[in-house]
Amino acid sequence: MTKKIIIVFCICALAFMFLVSCKPKVKPTPPPPPPVKEQPKVEKVEEAPAVTKPTLSEEEIFMSKSLEEINLQSPLKMINFDYDHYEIRDDAKPTLQSDATWLKRFPSVKVLIEGHCDERGTEEYNLALGEKRAKSTMDYLASLGISSDRIKIISYGKSQPLDNGKTEAAWQRNRRAQFLIIEK
Amino acid sequence: MKKISLAAALLLFSCTFLFPQQEVYLTLKEGVPAIALALPNFFVHGPSPRAKEAAEIILQVISDDLIYSRIFQLLPKKYYEYIRPLDPKNISYKEWESIQASILLAGEISEGEGENIVFEGKVYDVKGQRFIFGKRYQATKSVYRLAAHRMADEMVKVLSGEKPIFSTKIVFVSDRDGNDELYMMDYDGQNQTRLTFNKTRDYMPAWSADGKKIAFTSYKKLGEAGLYLLDLEAGKITPVATRGTNFSPSFSPDAKKLAFCSTTDGNAEIYVANADGKNIKRLTFNEATDTSPSWSPTSREIAFVSDRSGTPQIYLMDAEGSNVRRVSFGGTYHDAPAWSPTGDRIVYVSRVENIFDLYILNLRTNQITKLTESNARNESPSWSSDGRHIVFTSNLGGSIQLYTIDYDASKLRRLTSQGTNKLPDWSH
Repeated sequence: MTKKIIIVFCICALAFMFLVSCKPKVKPTPPPPPPVKEQPKVEKVEEAPAVTKPTLSEEEIFMSKSLEEINLQSPLKMINFDYDHYEIRDDAKPTLQSDATWLKRFPSVKVLIEGHCDERGTEEYNLALGEKRAKSTMDYLASLGISSDRIKIISYGKSQPLDNGKTEAAWQRNRRAQFLIIEK
Repeated sequence: MKKISLAAALLLFSCTFLFPQQEVYLTLKEGVPAIALALPNFFVHGPSPRAKEAAEIILQVISDDLIYSRIFQLLPKKYYEYIRPLDPKNISYKEWESIQASILLAGEISEGEGENIVFEGKVYDVKGQRFIFGKRYQATKSVYRLAAHRMADEMVKVLSGEKPIFSTKIVFVSDRDGNDELYMMDYDGQNQTRLTFNKTRDYMPAWSADGKKIAFTSYKKLGEAGLYLLDLEAGKITPVATRGTNFSPSFSPDAKKLAFCSTTDGNAEIYVANADGKNIKRLTFNEATDTSPSWSPTSREIAFVSDRSGTPQIYLMDAEGSNVRRVSFGGTYHDAPAWSPTGDRIVYVSRVENIFDLYILNLRTNQITKLTESNARNESPSWSSDGRHIVFTSNLGGSIQLYTIDYDASKLRRLTSQGTNKLPDWSH
């Protein structure tokens, strides 16, 4: 009997030893959580506004501005052209698309499109070329749904350069169609 | 006297008849002797500093004018030292002949009323030993130059029969006061005067045949590049065409019509109105760009530019718009034709790789002569009314300025320096 007890004890001891060796050696006990302090909630005290300011829509903000202010912000972006050319370039199309979106949002707006050229064309022929640049810009906007009744075009030829430099970069800046808002 | 006027008439004859055959061009170039002119110091009456100063100015201006005309050749000043000084009361033809003068201009200056001086110029035929004609002018200091130009005009008119140019004016665009406005000046660049005060942009002026009006483009109204007429005497500006971009005005030499370019119908086309700007009619009907009209001296034809072939080229048409024919070839960019008052030549601009040069096309021989030779942009040519000189815009000195040059590429001279100056038109 005692022999049986010893065997059982031994098995138990072995089993215990096995279990102990598998488990992490020391499991630290987590520190007790700090005692929660009770804090009063801060309430902001505000005077109720006497008059509630109406929120302006973007259209209303737009209408409140003068033409000068609007044009200073140039909401319509200009586009550039290749030398001697007046066709709308692929890189100008996204610009005109966002210009068209803007024009659709403010349907009362009328614009003047000015066609400009660089100095490497003659005075006379450049006036015709500038006009064609303004016209192809107008036509492209029309294809995007902007009525040409809202657009006037004009050419300045090479008389109004943005950049007086003698580099291709300067000439490129000057070959442009730009917008002026003339009515809102 | 009769003999002289006959000789003068003969001279006149030969000039007007030779011109259309282009012979004058050749003879001038090969140096047929110009008229040998003695232009000694003027005789000043009394010890008047005012008269003395006037004498110097007027003599200098007449001298510059007559040299510029190329009709006269002035005797070297040192020749006058070999003979007795000018005595207007007693012209010694023999002495003037001894220093090889054919014509003598004897000038006298005296004090006149108030601030005036009186200038008298008498012209003698030295070889024929005769008085030809005389003129007397009264002038204050501000118009000494004008008096001199008038005398020089008379000499050219009487002695060569040609149309004199010394009282002509050049209208142009300058930004010297901040923005592009119209100005005018004497043919020699003196007396530069501002004409418009629109504070925006005035552009492309052209003289009427009588020199009393100027047609020009103005951006003075927002969104418009309108064509206007400026009446110089009345100081009045009236609109001709304001829809679209309106530019390149050109008055017919017979004073009846005004041609111009407009985009009013959507495309750049040439239109013609009466000289007062009324009764506008369209002349060209082409999908291409048609611009830069310039009248023939007969007012029966118009030279213009069209890119109907793909590139801008020069064409001629009848004044009614019919009978269109191309006259420029060999080149990809030709513009700004100006028909010479002699009828046989057209000066124009040709662009080759960012360089603009002026060329003259001889309509009789189809021969082309290059007029300017500079690594620059030379453009907007306009003829003097005698067909010997051309005013144009150039950036050859760096900034954009006005220059004149003779039809045979000689005598390049600069007229302006203040601000940038462009788009000249020489009065008729």
